[in-house]
Amino acid sequence: MLRSLMLLALLVLSPLASALNVVATTTNMAMLSAAVGGEHASVTVLAPPDRDTHYLELRPNMMVALRRADLLVSVGAELEVGWLPPAIQGAGNRRLNPGQPGYFEAAAQVELIDQVPDANRSMGDVHPMGNPHVYMDPVRMADIARTLAEHMGRIEPEHAEVFRANAQAFAERMEALLKRLAARLDTPPGVLLYHKDADYLMRRLDVPVLGYLEPVPGVPPTGRHLNALASELRGREGVMIANPWQSRRGPDFIGRELGFPVHVLPTNVPVGGDVADYEALLEQWVDAATP
Amino acid sequence: MNRKSVLAVAVAAAAATFSAPLLAQTDEQAPGAALGTTGIDRARLTSGTQFNPQISVILDGVYYGASREVHGPAGFDDGHDHGHSHGDAHGLEEGFNLRETEITMTASIDNYLDGVVTLALEGSSGIEVEEAYLLTRTLPAGLQIKAGRFLSDIGYINRQHPHDWLFVDRPLVSELLFGDHGLQDNGLQLSWLAPTPFFSRFGVEVLQGEGGIASQVGEEDFTIVTYDGDTTGAPDRVRWRASNELEDRSGPQLYTAFAKVSPDLGFNHAAQFGVSGGYSNSFQAQEAHSSGRLETWQGDGWFAGVDAVYKYDAGRSFGHGNWVVQGEYFFREIEADYASRVFADGSTLVPSMAGGTDDVFRSRSRQDGLYVQAVYGFAPRWNAGLRAEAVGLTNKSLEANSNRSNFESFDASYRYAAQVSFAPTEFSRLRMQVNLNDYAHDDGDHAHDAWEVMLQYNVSLGSHGAHQF
Repeated sequence: MLRSLMLLALLVLSPLASALNVVATTTNMAMLSAAVGGEHASVTVLAPPDRDTHYLELRPNMMVALRRADLLVSVGAELEVGWLPPAIQGAGNRRLNPGQPGYFEAAAQVELIDQVPDANRSMGDVHPMGNPHVYMDPVRMADIARTLAEHMGRIEPEHAEVFRANAQAFAERMEALLKRLAARLDTPPGVLLYHKDADYLMRRLDVPVLGYLEPVPGVPPTGRHLNALASELRGREGVMIANPWQSRRGPDFIGRELGFPVHVLPTNVPVGGDVADYEALLEQWVDAATP
Repeated sequence: MNRKSVLAVAVAAAAATFSAPLLAQTDEQAPGAALGTTGIDRARLTSGTQFNPQISVILDGVYYGASREVHGPAGFDDGHDHGHSHGDAHGLEEGFNLRETEITMTASIDNYLDGVVTLALEGSSGIEVEEAYLLTRTLPAGLQIKAGRFLSDIGYINRQHPHDWLFVDRPLVSELLFGDHGLQDNGLQLSWLAPTPFFSRFGVEVLQGEGGIASQVGEEDFTIVTYDGDTTGAPDRVRWRASNELEDRSGPQLYTAFAKVSPDLGFNHAAQFGVSGGYSNSFQAQEAHSSGRLETWQGDGWFAGVDAVYKYDAGRSFGHGNWVVQGEYFFREIEADYASRVFADGSTLVPSMAGGTDDVFRSRSRQDGLYVQAVYGFAPRWNAGLRAEAVGLTNKSLEANSNRSNFESFDASYRYAAQVSFAPTEFSRLRMQVNLNDYAHDDGDHAHDAWEVMLQYNVSLGSHGAHQF
């Protein structure tokens, strides 16, 4: 309810301000947009943080937000492909056409891991251009912030320097965050993930990923796959990390069978979350990875 | 293609072949180049602006069984088949059916236009162009123009392709009032997303009028040949010919308008309410009987309806806990001159009833229909739904009554459906549906309840699909 009210407030208040009107697909992208845009940006978010962005369904009011947006900040790499293209098409806002400064994809600004150019659907719901969950890597987020500042500067040149300075400040916080995260980790035993959504963070911090509960991306864990994982990892130390929207059956089975601590962690900051929330989010993940 | 353009294409192809490795090399040398190692333009990963159209193919197969032969609901044959049609179950035969194989190609044409083509391979033969339209992307003020062949935005389900449906079959009201493919026509649509704080979209369409409420037969000759025994006993071949006396009309013949509003209910709930209607300045139909009788209908018509959809996103995985509730009601009226005529001599058609002009009259047909359905995700990847339908609550058909002095009224028909779906991934779905038909028959008899069972697979190949609301 509180979340709905906040969204409503954002929707009602945003046209009043003369600031750069930014629509972010996820709350992490909203956090980044607010960090870079500062007082010159008003940010609306389309996807709630507590569910799988990939499986979201189009809501008509997404088009209302997009219709008046100066800038759309998306994660990209097909993460929002199930609902964002029709939302953009329905909004009829020419500022958001690809190639315009008003269209921004975070994943397109950085190198992606797990690129599978020869992917096919029998490998599950893979993204041939790479893993889209770049928002879990503070270093890539810093790079994305810098290019986002350039985009914002092209739309509002009078504030370009402010955007650059904000992006630089964000990048410095990320650098400090990375040091703190690395310091917290003390020989992590490895994590077992539900989905490939924290790989960027784990690779950045050299935390071994022991496996995934999904047999292939987008397919929920099967009994056979869980048994195979359990027998493969028996006797090993590790932690299980899942997301709030995923079924607890698989993670609980792993916890029972292997004695792994089971953590359920979000991958996005709350609605209206700021850089401190993002830092806290990654710290939560790192704490969970260190049993 | 003339010789010059063949040459141009050949040169371009050769140039592309030779330059490709060079370009690739430059990429490797330039750090941070726009092309990733996949060769995909990384500045546009989801937007669908690759040069090649995105292609998706939908495969749809149905096993169909019925407890008895299913005839269409009374009064809904538009004067064509007198209730003897078997077309109710979308032409499904008992046993295995290959339904439409749908091929959709989508691409940006340039920075002004998007293009969409959907071809349907009907069964194992025949290609139908379902949609082929241009959509503007640079008009100001939330305006958009769609031009070509498209599914009208009237109602809610009309715009959906069969693979978007939550049940195997199309709701009766949509099929009976607008046709097997809904209201799908050639024309132009102007729509406006209004600058309101909640979603509101308004539109008008000018359509050619291809069937259903807007139909064109045109002036043509009605011809029959009879063999009468003459006095010598040898058959006497007589050719009878006369004009059907229908007017030639030119399109466009159908004008529609729609409005949709959606209050902002936050992240978990979404609802949309719509009103729509249309006016056709030409409704024409004819039916030639082998007896030498010709029935014609000529007039105009209008329809109006309301629709509502509510969706709940429970925020759990794979649709678990989600609800979709939707319903639509449509009413249509056709005012038509009806004539039932026979040949008086070789070239004149006169009213068919001896000495009477009663079977030439002007009257109104009024028919309506509705459905309400609810689908719930009872487990991850599984959903189940119920649908209730009624058609002909008002059912003054286009069929002449026995006195041929007016159109006849029929009873209402009902259908109930239950379905269970399992979607192993977002690209495939298996569905089982059971229908109970309680159709009125032309003679007012309701004692023909029929059970239908359908087993369906519905899968998509190719580019990652997105769904409209």
